[in-house]
Amino acid sequence: MAVRTQFENSTDIGVFSKLTNSYCLTALASSTNFYSVFESELADVIPIVHTTIGGTRIIGRLTAGNRHGLLVPSTTTDQELQHLRNSLPPSVAIQRVEERLSALGNVIACNDYVALVHPDIDRETEEIIADTLKVEVFRQTVASNVLVGSYCALSNQGGLVHPKTSRSELDELSSLLQVPLVAGTVNRGSEVIGAGLVVNDWCAFTGLDTTATEVSVIEATFRLQGQTSAAVINEMRDSLIDHYA
Amino acid sequence: MSSVAGLQRITPVPTSADFIDVVLNATMRKTPTVIHKNFKISRIRNFYMRKVKFTQDTFDEKLGKIISEFPVLDNLHPFLSSLLNVLYDKNHYKLALGQINTARHLIAQVAKDYCRLLKFGDSLYRCKQLKKAALGRMATIMRRQKDPLAYLEQVRQHISRLPAIDPNTRTLLICGYPNVGKSSFVNKITRADVDVQPYAFTTKSLFVGHMDYKYLRWQVIDTPGVLDHPLEEMNTIEMQSITALAHLRSAVMYFMDLSEQCGYTIEAQCKLFHSIKPLFLNKPTLLVINKIDIVRLSDLSLENRAFVDTILADKSVTVVEASTYSEEGVMNVRNVACDALLAHRVEQKLKGSRIELVANKIHVAVPQKRDDVERKPFIPEAVKDRVKYDKNDPNRRKLQKDEEQEMELSGMGIYSADLKRDYMLADDSWKYDKIPEFLNGKNIADFIDPDIAEKLEALEREEEALEAQGFYESDESEMLDSDEEEFRDAADQIRKKKASIKKISQEKNHLQNRPIIPRKKRHVTLSEFTTGMRKSGHDPLVLEKRAARLVEKKKEAWEAAEAREAASGAGEMDVDMGGDDMDMASSAGASSSKKVKKGMAIDRAPRSNRQLAGLASYAQSDKANELRDFAQRLPNRLAKASESDRHIPITRPKWMLAGKRKGGKTDRR
Repeated sequence: MAVRTQFENSTDIGVFSKLTNSYCLTALASSTNFYSVFESELADVIPIVHTTIGGTRIIGRLTAGNRHGLLVPSTTTDQELQHLRNSLPPSVAIQRVEERLSALGNVIACNDYVALVHPDIDRETEEIIADTLKVEVFRQTVASNVLVGSYCALSNQGGLVHPKTSRSELDELSSLLQVPLVAGTVNRGSEVIGAGLVVNDWCAFTGLDTTATEVSVIEATFRLQGQTSAAVINEMRDSLIDHYA
Repeated sequence: MSSVAGLQRITPVPTSADFIDVVLNATMRKTPTVIHKNFKISRIRNFYMRKVKFTQDTFDEKLGKIISEFPVLDNLHPFLSSLLNVLYDKNHYKLALGQINTARHLIAQVAKDYCRLLKFGDSLYRCKQLKKAALGRMATIMRRQKDPLAYLEQVRQHISRLPAIDPNTRTLLICGYPNVGKSSFVNKITRADVDVQPYAFTTKSLFVGHMDYKYLRWQVIDTPGVLDHPLEEMNTIEMQSITALAHLRSAVMYFMDLSEQCGYTIEAQCKLFHSIKPLFLNKPTLLVINKIDIVRLSDLSLENRAFVDTILADKSVTVVEASTYSEEGVMNVRNVACDALLAHRVEQKLKGSRIELVANKIHVAVPQKRDDVERKPFIPEAVKDRVKYDKNDPNRRKLQKDEEQEMELSGMGIYSADLKRDYMLADDSWKYDKIPEFLNGKNIADFIDPDIAEKLEALEREEEALEAQGFYESDESEMLDSDEEEFRDAADQIRKKKASIKKISQEKNHLQNRPIIPRKKRHVTLSEFTTGMRKSGHDPLVLEKRAARLVEKKKEAWEAAEAREAASGAGEMDVDMGGDDMDMASSAGASSSKKVKKGMAIDRAPRSNRQLAGLASYAQSDKANELRDFAQRLPNRLAKASESDRHIPITRPKWMLAGKRKGGKTDRR
C-alpha cells in the first residue's frame, strides 16, 4: 500500500517523518493530520511517535534507523532522547551520535541488514552504525551523490534510487544491498527520493504530488501489493517509456 | 489563461471609439494642463509638443501590445496554426493585424509632422490649433480601424474558449459521419460533458476529455462529423476535424453505424473512410462498429459486408465493436485503442535516441548473491490481520485527527496532542510523572545508570569494611602536625613576601601618578635654606641679614596699619567681618568719620553688601536668590537679553515661505 500525503503543504514528507519496521517517527505539526495518516495505516502495529530532534521538525533528515535501532544526532536534547526512550519498545536501541555530518538521515541509507553511508563519515560513527543498527556498512555514493540517504529509499524487499543512477551502478548497489533496485522519481519528477518517500516492508507513504506512474513503480519495487519488482519491466514498461521518454 | 496549449492570454481589444477615449483621457490626465499666453513661447511649444508625443506614445504602446499578444500563426504548432486558419481565416487574420500595424505607423508619422510644425508655432493659439489638428488626425486614423479591432476582439474571445489540446500527448481521436455516436462514446469514457442530440452536426467544434489508463493520462478528442465530399467543399466545422486528423499524433478511431440510423448508408460510410484514409497514415487506426445493440458486424448482409471488408483488407486497421447505448464493449474499445497507440508510441520512441536516457529507469537491478545470509523481510503478524482503515466505516478507528476535529467543533479550545499517552513504561501510572528537566545543572539522563544499585551496594560494602578495619578512628593527626606547621610557615612567609612586593610596587606607582610640585614653587623656610647652604659649605650670612632686614620692615608697616585702623574705629571692621551680624545701617554713618587726606586718591572697600540689603537673615537671602533664579527661567529659555528685552523675532520669514516650493522644501531651503 502506498499512501499519498503531505506535511503542512509540503510534499517532502521524508523530511518530516521516519518509518521503519518497528516504529514510526513524525514531526510535531500544528494539526494532527499528518500524524493521523500514519496512524490510520500503522496504529496497533508499530508505535507512532510525535517528536522533535534538537527542537527542529526535520526529523527524517536528522535521524537514521531500522528495526533494531535509532541513531539521533548530537543536537538531540536529553528531554527528546528521554521521550524517544519512553515511546519506543526496549528492543529498539537508541544512540546519540557525535558526528560532524549531523543530518544522519541524509548520510545514512539503511534497511534491517545493510547500510550505505556517506564516504566521509567518521570511523567511530561507522562502528556505532554497525553495532546499533546491526547492519553491514558500506561507504558508497548514489549517482555520484554523497548524500546516499537523500537519494534513495530502502526496505528489505527493494529499493528506489536516484533517477540518474546508471545501470551498472544499479547492479553494483543491488549486489551490495541484496535487494532489487529501481531508478525512479517521486513527487512528479523529484529526484530526492529520500525526501519524497518513506517506506518499510509492508507500506509506503509518498508526497502528494506523486503521479500514478510513480506510485505504481513504488508499489512494484517495494512489493507492496504482492507483485514482484519485475513488474517494472513487464506490465509497466510501455507506460514508463512513454512517460519518461 | 492556461486553457489553450501554446497560446497565451490576450488582453481584451477595445472598440475603436473606446480606444480613442482611453488614449485621449490618458493624455488629459498625464500631461500638464495649465498654460498661459504670457509664458515664454518655447515653453508653450514644449507644452503642446509633449501632449502630441504623449498621445502618439500611448497609441503606439496599446497597438503594439495587440500586435505582440496575438499569436503569430507561423510560429505555432502546425495543428494550432491550421486550426486557427480554419476558424478565423489566416488571410483575414493577418490582414487585420497588418492594418493595426499600419495605423500605428501612420500615427507615428502624424505625430512627427505636427511636432515639427509646432516648433514654428508663434503663439499659444496657433500651437493649440496644431495640437488639436494632430490629435484629431490620430483619432481619425484610429476610427478607421473599427472593423479590424472588432474582428480581433471576436478572435480573442474565441481563442480564449478553445479547448486545451496538447498536440504532443497521448491522444485518441474520434471521427466519422455525423450522428454515429462519437460524442456519446466520449461521454462514456471521459468526464467531458459533450452535448448529444439526435441530429447531425450537434458537435460543431473540437471537444476534449481526459481519462486515466495504465497509470497514464490520455486525451480524447471528439471531432464534428465529416461528410464525404472534396476538401474544397468542406465547411469550417468539418475542416476542424480534418485539421485534427492531419496534424495530431494520435490513435484514430473511425466510428461506423451499421444500423444506418444516422442517415448514411454503410457504403457511404465506407467511402468516407477511404477518402480520408491518407490522413490515417502512420497512425494506429481502429474501425469502431457502434450501435451493436441494433446491428452487429456478423448480422450484415453480404453486399454490405463486402463494403466493410474493403476497409478491413488493410491489415493495419483493427475492428472493434461497441454500443454506447448498452455500454457493451465500450471499455474494450478504449483499451484496444490505448494499447495500440501506446505500442505505436513506444515503438517510435525506441527508434529515437532519448530511449538511452530512460534505459536505467526500466531496468530492475537484481542482486547477485554475495553470501549465504538470508535477509528476510520483517512484516509483523499484526499487519496481516489488520482491518484496512476505511474513512466511511462507522466502526473505524478513532484517530487523533478526529479527536482534534471534535474538540474544535465543540469549541472546547485548542487541541494539543498528548505525547505521553503512548509511553511504554513498566508501570502505566508513571506516564505523567513530573520529572524536573534540570536539577543542580544536571538532568535525569545524567543519572541513568543500569548498574546503579550494584555500585551503591559495592560502595557500602567497602565502607563497612573500612570502618571495620578502624580506618576512620585514626590518631595520626599529631603525626601530621609538624609537617603541617612547616607547611604553614612556608605559606606565611610567601604571603608576607608577596605583600611586601605588592606594597613596594604600589608605592612606586603612587609616586609616579602624583602631580609633582616644581622646585621653584615650593615654599622653603629660611632655616632650611641656610642649613642647606652651610652643609654644602657656603656662608649664608649675607642672606640671613637681608632676611632679618626685610622682616623688620614688614613688621613696621604692619604696626603702622594697625595704629591707623584703631584710629578709624570699630565701624570699619564691621564691613570686613560683616558676616557675623547684619548691622549694616551703622556703617553708613561711620563713613562720615573717615579721615580724608587732601589731594590723594583713597582706595575704598565697599561699605556694604548690597545683595543683602533689606534682608533680615541669610535664610531670607537664600530664598531671595532662589526666587530670582526661578523668575529668570522663562526669559532665559526665550533667549532674552534681560528683563527689559521685548524683542519679537520674525516668526514667518518671507524667504522661507514665499514663492514656489517643490517636495521636501517646507522646512528649509
